[in-house]
Amino acid sequence: MGSKYRSPTIDRRSFVKIVTALLGSMMAAVVGLPVIQYFISPALKKDVSDDWISLGPLENYPLDIPTPFHFTLTRVNGWERSSQSYGAFVLRRPSEEIVVFSDVCTHLSCRVSWDPENEEFLCPCHAASFDKFGGVTSGPPPKPLNRYEIKLEENQLFIHFREG
Amino acid sequence: MKEEQKQEYKRKYEQAKQDGVKFWPDIIYKDLLMSFGLFILLVGLATFLGVTPQPKADPSDTSYIPRPEWYFLFLFEFLKFIPGKIEWVGTFLIPVLAVLALFALPFLDKNPLRYWKNRLAGISIMGVIVLGMVGLTIRSVITTPKQEEVPIADTIQEQIILGQEFYSVYCVECHGPDGEGGEIAGVEGLEGVVLKSISSRDEMYTRSDETLEAIVAYGQQDLGMPPNGLAYGGELKKAELEALVTFMRYTWDDRVDIPEDAAAARAIPEIKEGEVPSYEVHISRIAQRYCISCHRPGKENNEYLMGTYQEILTTGDNADNNMIAGNLDSYLIQCITGESIFDPETGEEIIQQMPPTKLMREQYIKIFEAWVLNGMPETAVEAELLTSEGQTE
Amino acid sequence: MTQSIFSWLDERLGLTAIYNTVLDRKVPKVNWWFTLGSASLFLGLLQGITGMLLSVYYVPTPDHAYDSITFIMNGVQFGWLIRGLHHWGASLLILTAFIHLLRVFFYGAYKYPREFTWFTGVILLFGALGMGFTGYLLPWNQRSYWATTVGTEIAGTVPVVGDFILRVLRGGTDLSAVTLSRFFSLHIWIFPAVIIATVITHLYLVIRLGISNIPDKDS
Repeated sequence: MGSKYRSPTIDRRSFVKIVTALLGSMMAAVVGLPVIQYFISPALKKDVSDDWISLGPLENYPLDIPTPFHFTLTRVNGWERSSQSYGAFVLRRPSEEIVVFSDVCTHLSCRVSWDPENEEFLCPCHAASFDKFGGVTSGPPPKPLNRYEIKLEENQLFIHFREG
Repeated sequence: MKEEQKQEYKRKYEQAKQDGVKFWPDIIYKDLLMSFGLFILLVGLATFLGVTPQPKADPSDTSYIPRPEWYFLFLFEFLKFIPGKIEWVGTFLIPVLAVLALFALPFLDKNPLRYWKNRLAGISIMGVIVLGMVGLTIRSVITTPKQEEVPIADTIQEQIILGQEFYSVYCVECHGPDGEGGEIAGVEGLEGVVLKSISSRDEMYTRSDETLEAIVAYGQQDLGMPPNGLAYGGELKKAELEALVTFMRYTWDDRVDIPEDAAAARAIPEIKEGEVPSYEVHISRIAQRYCISCHRPGKENNEYLMGTYQEILTTGDNADNNMIAGNLDSYLIQCITGESIFDPETGEEIIQQMPPTKLMREQYIKIFEAWVLNGMPETAVEAELLTSEGQTE
Repeated sequence: MTQSIFSWLDERLGLTAIYNTVLDRKVPKVNWWFTLGSASLFLGLLQGITGMLLSVYYVPTPDHAYDSITFIMNGVQFGWLIRGLHHWGASLLILTAFIHLLRVFFYGAYKYPREFTWFTGVILLFGALGMGFTGYLLPWNQRSYWATTVGTEIAGTVPVVGDFILRVLRGGTDLSAVTLSRFFSLHIWIFPAVIIATVITHLYLVIRLGISNIPDKDS
């Protein structure tokens, strides 16, 4: 059967080499390329939450004191459904200006708490502090606390929650 | 094997090697083509046949017919021929002996000859065994009864839609179409019991999916709620309970967003002024949500079933008066607008308002009326024709 | 340049020696039935690769096993392909291995001097069946649950020690999370370890003794 493959320019051995390389790389490609997608596709999927969340009537929030509010959202991650808790601080200014801060420290995402004595937000992780309006007063955070977009409807306070 | 036979074999084998080929490239080339062929076959099987989805494991569902992988079927089938008393002969003794024989084959077969014509006894025994295995496998495939199909909901959308169906069949009667509860009417043994809402924030925020599933499965027998799980005397399998809970969670829990396509697939479409509704698009979905929990076989409902188009039109003790095309005095229309029907002779109430607990929303009643006035079209196409006729007149 | 790198490596790794003993050796002329051994090896490797990939998302607990497989099928791109290859590859591997065994039997290739090669081959066949049995449970669906219930029940009919074997297989009286976990461990660690060691022995023997020749009428 050897003679069948003999030609002036290509001998049997090189022919088999080429076929081996060809079929081998075809199989590698058929498995290999999908594998890349298989690995990275969950990372590419953006799970977008975009919702107005009700914080209740405005009267619930005392004037000029940042007041915590917690809410939970259910998320589907792969095969798991989990509830994640989020926190915010509502600050009602006497001028009727309303600010809602996220309680996530802008440094490494620890949760900040309000210290009423010193009138500042404290982050327990790296001893950072923010003033009443979310500005950084000490420590490593690169920017002030994030603010939520807000709206008022019939005296009910809503924040615009977006993630992803 | 004697020493000279060994030498003889070695000499012959060396000769065969001399007359032979090189491992690379000759043998590898053939191996490669074979493997590549199998690879193509495999990709084809994975792409075109795929893996048939199966319902989730449910230890309470003993109706499932166990079937092993196909390459164990022959053994499975073989056991049918062994009497129960000496079952262990089939499950243990014979397989163990077969395995030992297979391992010890080179020592059992002392015949130094290799050509098949010189080993007819051995070849025939093996042939009979292999044919027996193939035969048993085929017999097993033929004789195993078909498994009853169970609906499988893979995605959340499918689960919500399936769950809603179960909700309308098993829960609506008492808990109402939106889980709102209220006073129960028309349910034997629970008449007049007042239920609290099961779709409230309180309920949704404080009960996990597992708790909800457990309640649905066990029921709350001291309060009159029957069990629904198959394991406790109800009718729902585990996967179906999960679908039901998913429906409740996604419909009533305001922390969870319902996927858009699920919302679209189960919404009851509104009708515009002058549009004629059809069974296919409108009535079936309304009936599904509000009626079929009672109007299905085995319930007290004057034999009136509402599962299909034909049933709505033709079944029931009052079939002649239930649905009359173009007539708003049809019993069904009278009931859903809140009127009771009385027997013309005895004056007894034969049908009360429907649904008994609370009337449907105004817009759904309007859909029913428009449907009856236009002669109760079944398909969306018929309804569309009627709509356009109505507009050209 | 390439030449000097090669000779540097060759001096240290002995590549030429490997080439001469493994690839550049004379073997008898054989037919297509002799490709089934290497085909089984190829399918086995493919099972290894797809199996490793499945373990990226698969979770061996009753709570999540089914859902994680659903996620592989619907939530991950090409998950259906990886699972499809693994699912069908298992059946095909059993088939090629079994026909390979029949070929060896038909040509009397298990006889002197290849008795031990036969021995390792039988171990491999049962290794593959064991992989099939344990792998069948992992999707945790109705089919796998009830097949494994009956399969372990069969082991329980062995006289005297049957009940003990059943409990060892299931890790208790019932088919449970414990069963799933140990089947998973057997499927991805213990059986593969045994199989890999046996495959190496099998291949070593095939190279050492050479592939058998097709017997002629006098032998």
